[in-house]
Amino acid sequence: MKATIGLEIHVQLDTLSKLFCSCSTDIDDAEPNSVVCPICLGYPGSKPMVNRRALEHGVVIAQALNSKVMHVIRFSRKNYFYPDMSKNFQITQYEVPLAEGGYLLVGGHRIGITRVHLEEDPAKLVHVGGGITSARETLIDYNRAGVPLVEIVTDPDIGSTEEARDFLKKLSLILEHLGAYDPHKEGSLRVDANVSVEGGNRVEVKNITGFRNVEKALNYEVVRQTSAVNMGMLVVRETRHFDAETGVTSTLRLKEQEEDYGYIAEPDLTQIHIASDWVAALKASMPELPDQRIQRLVGEYGITRFQSDIIVNTGLRMSEFYEESCKLYPDSKNVANWLVTYLLKSLNFEGMSLEESNVRPETFTELLVLIDEETISERLAKELIKDYVKTGKSPRTIVEEKNLALLPVDELRVVVSEVVAENSKAVEDYRSGKAKAAEYLIGQVLRRVRARASAGIVRELVLEALKEN
Amino acid sequence: MSTLDRVRALDDKYHFINTLAHGLDTENRGRLSGYTVSVKDNICVRGMESTAGSKILEGYIPPFDATVIAKCRAEGASILGKTTQDEFGFGTFNINTPYKRPLNPHDPWRSTGGSSGGAACLTAVADFPHLALSESTGGSISCPASWCGVVGVTPTYGRVSRWGLIDYANSLDKIGVMAKTVGEAGLLLEVISGPDRYDSTVLDAPVPCYSDLETVEGLRIGVPEEYFGEGVDPMVEAKVWAAIKGLESDGAEVSDVSLPHTKYSLSSYYIIAMAEASTNLAKFSGLRYGLQEPIESDFNQYFSRVRTKGLGDEAKRRVMLGTFTRMAGYRDAYYLKALKVRTKVIEDFKLAFKGVDVLAAPAMPVVAPRFDEIEQLEPIQHYMMDVLTVAPNLAGIPMVSVPCGEAHGMPVGLHLMADHLEEHKLLKAAWEVEQ
Repeated sequence: MKATIGLEIHVQLDTLSKLFCSCSTDIDDAEPNSVVCPICLGYPGSKPMVNRRALEHGVVIAQALNSKVMHVIRFSRKNYFYPDMSKNFQITQYEVPLAEGGYLLVGGHRIGITRVHLEEDPAKLVHVGGGITSARETLIDYNRAGVPLVEIVTDPDIGSTEEARDFLKKLSLILEHLGAYDPHKEGSLRVDANVSVEGGNRVEVKNITGFRNVEKALNYEVVRQTSAVNMGMLVVRETRHFDAETGVTSTLRLKEQEEDYGYIAEPDLTQIHIASDWVAALKASMPELPDQRIQRLVGEYGITRFQSDIIVNTGLRMSEFYEESCKLYPDSKNVANWLVTYLLKSLNFEGMSLEESNVRPETFTELLVLIDEETISERLAKELIKDYVKTGKSPRTIVEEKNLALLPVDELRVVVSEVVAENSKAVEDYRSGKAKAAEYLIGQVLRRVRARASAGIVRELVLEALKEN
Repeated sequence: MSTLDRVRALDDKYHFINTLAHGLDTENRGRLSGYTVSVKDNICVRGMESTAGSKILEGYIPPFDATVIAKCRAEGASILGKTTQDEFGFGTFNINTPYKRPLNPHDPWRSTGGSSGGAACLTAVADFPHLALSESTGGSISCPASWCGVVGVTPTYGRVSRWGLIDYANSLDKIGVMAKTVGEAGLLLEVISGPDRYDSTVLDAPVPCYSDLETVEGLRIGVPEEYFGEGVDPMVEAKVWAAIKGLESDGAEVSDVSLPHTKYSLSSYYIIAMAEASTNLAKFSGLRYGLQEPIESDFNQYFSRVRTKGLGDEAKRRVMLGTFTRMAGYRDAYYLKALKVRTKVIEDFKLAFKGVDVLAAPAMPVVAPRFDEIEQLEPIQHYMMDVLTVAPNLAGIPMVSVPCGEAHGMPVGLHLMADHLEEHKLLKAAWEVEQ
C-alpha cells in the first residue's frame, strides 16, 4: 500500500554484557530483576562505563549501511519520567551520533539512512490483566535495563508497506550476517514508524515488535489514514500505540502533548575518539554481506541466481546449512535443488524455521545419498523429507522404520508375474497391439509395491514378462 | 573517653554528624593507620546510611563503597561516619537540609558554610587524628574550610574517582579533602587520587607526592584583579593581601593577572549545575530505593507525591530552573551558551597559567555570616556568595583554601588556584602560608 514511511529501528546488540555495566545480556530465562547491578538500576553514586564491543558492533553496522562514522562521539541524557527507566533518563546519543548518512538498496530503490546511534534499552514492563492503558497493575523487570541497542533511523524514503517489510528483512539479514544481533530472540528488533499518506499529517506509531507486526501495524495505519483522507477527515499529527493482540493502533498522545526531552550531554562519560584506522580495520575484516554471498554461491557452487537468492534470503543459518551440506555431498547443484524445492517447502508446511527444526547437514545429505545409491526412490524421498523435517530422525532410520527401501529385483519379479497373471485382459490387449496396456500393468505393480521401485526397472520387468508369456 | 564517645559529645554541641559508625577499625597498617576519616554524606559507604542530606534518601544503605572509601580502608583508615551537608550540595550555608544544621565552631550563631559544613566543622573541632572526605561542585570545600578555619583542598576534576559520589552536577563534582594541616590534607589526597576503571572521567595521570612539601622560592603567584574590590569585605581583603605579601617575602614572585570572563562564570555555573542536577534528581522517585509512599493511582502521581515530600525547597527550585534551561526553545540561550562560556573561562585560566604558577585570592568575599543575616537573603544572594569559587570549579582546576588569619573575629581563607594536575604547587604555597 502506498504511503510515505520512515523507520526508527531499535536492535538489541549481541554482546556478552550490557552497554554500561558488566551484567550479562543473557536474560531470557533469568528470574525477573536478577541480572542487575547498581549501574543498570541507576543507584545513587553509580556511573556508566561504555562497552567497547557494543561500540565495535555499531561501527561495523554503520559501515555496512554506507554510513559515515564520526571521529568524536558522545552520549546524551534523554530525560523523561517512566517506570521502565531506572534513572528517569535514558543514555542515548543526540547531537553527535555514532554515524550519519548512508543508504540501503531494496529492490533497486535507495532508502536513505539518516543516522545510526547507540543507546541503552529500558526495563521491560509487564502489564498484568490488560494492555498499556487498561492493566490493573504493571510489573517491572530491570533485567533488560541497559542492554545495548543500536538505533537506525531511515529517511522518509520508503514508499509502501511492502517496501518497509522488504527493507526490514534486508536490514535484519545484514545484521545477522554481521553477527550483531540474534533475530530469534524475542523483542530483539523493535520499530517506531512515521507514516503519512497524501493529504494527511505524519503519524508516529511506537514500539512495534518484530517484522510481522510492523507490516500489520503499517497496513492498519495506512488504511486508517487513507480512508480518513478519502472521507475528507483530518489525519492529525500524533503518536499512536500499536496493540499486537488486536492489530490496532490507538492515540497515545497528540502533537501538543509531545515530550520535551531536555537533552544534555551525559557528564559521566567523556567524548570518545573513534580512531580512523580502527574504523578501517573493522571495515576490512567485515564479514560477508548477504548480497556478496548471493553472488559467491552462484559462482562457487554453480547454482542459479534464483536458488542463491532464496538460500541467502531465508537467513544466515540457511546459507551456512547449504555450504556445510556441500562439504558433505559432492553435487552442490543437487543439494540446492533438494534444499530449495523440497526442504524449504516442508519447513514452511510445518511452520518451522531451520533453527527450530532438527534438520542437520549430515542427515539432509544422507537423504541424497540414499537416492543416489538407489536405496529409496526419488518419489519416496519426496515423501520421506516431510517426516524427516517433522521428526528430525535420520532418513536412514525412517527408511528402516517405515520399510521404504527399494525392493530387490527378484522380489519385484515375483510381484510382476503376480500382476501379469491376475490381469490377463491387459496382457491380451497388449499382445493385440495396444501398447498402452503395458502402462496399466506398470502402474499396478508400482501401486502394489507402494513406490518402492523405480518406474524404469518396473517397466523393464513388465516388458520382459510380457515377452516371456 | 573513646573516640566515638568524644565525637558524640562534640556533635551534641556542633551538629556535624548525620550517621555515626558503630565501631572503629583499629587495624595498624597503611598510610592512614591511626586516622579516623569522616565522610560527607553524599559519598557512599557500604552498609552505612548515605542520604546526601536529603529526606528522599532517608534509610538508603548503599550496597557498595565509593572508590575513595575503598582506598582509605586499604590504607588503614577507620571510617568515622557521615557528615552533614546541604541537600545534595545545594547551598552555601549548610542550612538547606532536613537534618542537622552544623554550627560554626568559632561562633555558634554563625554558619559553617556549605555545602560540606559538617566536614569543616568536625575538622576544626576534632582533638583526635581525623581527616575529612568532602566534595565540591561550585565551592563546597573552599567555603566551609575558609569559614571554619581549616585547610580544604579541591583537586583537579578527574584527579579523584567519583564512583560512589551521589551526583549533584557530574561535570563539576569533585571529591576533595579537609584537614587541620596542609600536610595531612596532602596525605589524604595522595591516597584517594589516581585512575579508576569505574569512573570514565578520571584522568590517567600518575599521582605525585602531595605530603612532602618544600619552599616556595621562585614560585610565581598571580593576583587576579577581578577577585578583589567590589563586594569583598575590606577586612577580608586585608588578611588575604597580608598572606600574599608573606609569600612574596618568602621568595615568591607576585604579579597582577586578569581573568576577564569572571563576571560570566556565576551564571554559566548555575545554569550547567542546575541543568545536570535536574536530570540527576529524576532517579529519586520512590521506586527502587529511599523514601516510599503507598502506591495509589498512576506512576506520575506517585512520583510527584514522593518527590513533593522528599525533596526540599532548594532542590525543587533547582529542578525547575534546571529543567527550564534545557527545554526546547531555551536550550540554546541557556544551557548551550553556558557551555560556551565555560570554555572561555577555562581559556582565561590557561592563559593566566602561562605566566604564573598559582593564583591567589580570597576564598569567600565575607566571613561566615550569622544565621539571622542569612534569613534575610534572597536565593540569588545565596548564589552570589560563590562568586569567587565558581570560576575555578567551572574550569576544573585545583584549589585550596588555607587559613590566613581572622577578620571580625572569624577565620579568613586564602584561596590558591593552580593549573590542572598541579596540586603539588598549590600545596607548597599553602604550606608556606601555614608556617
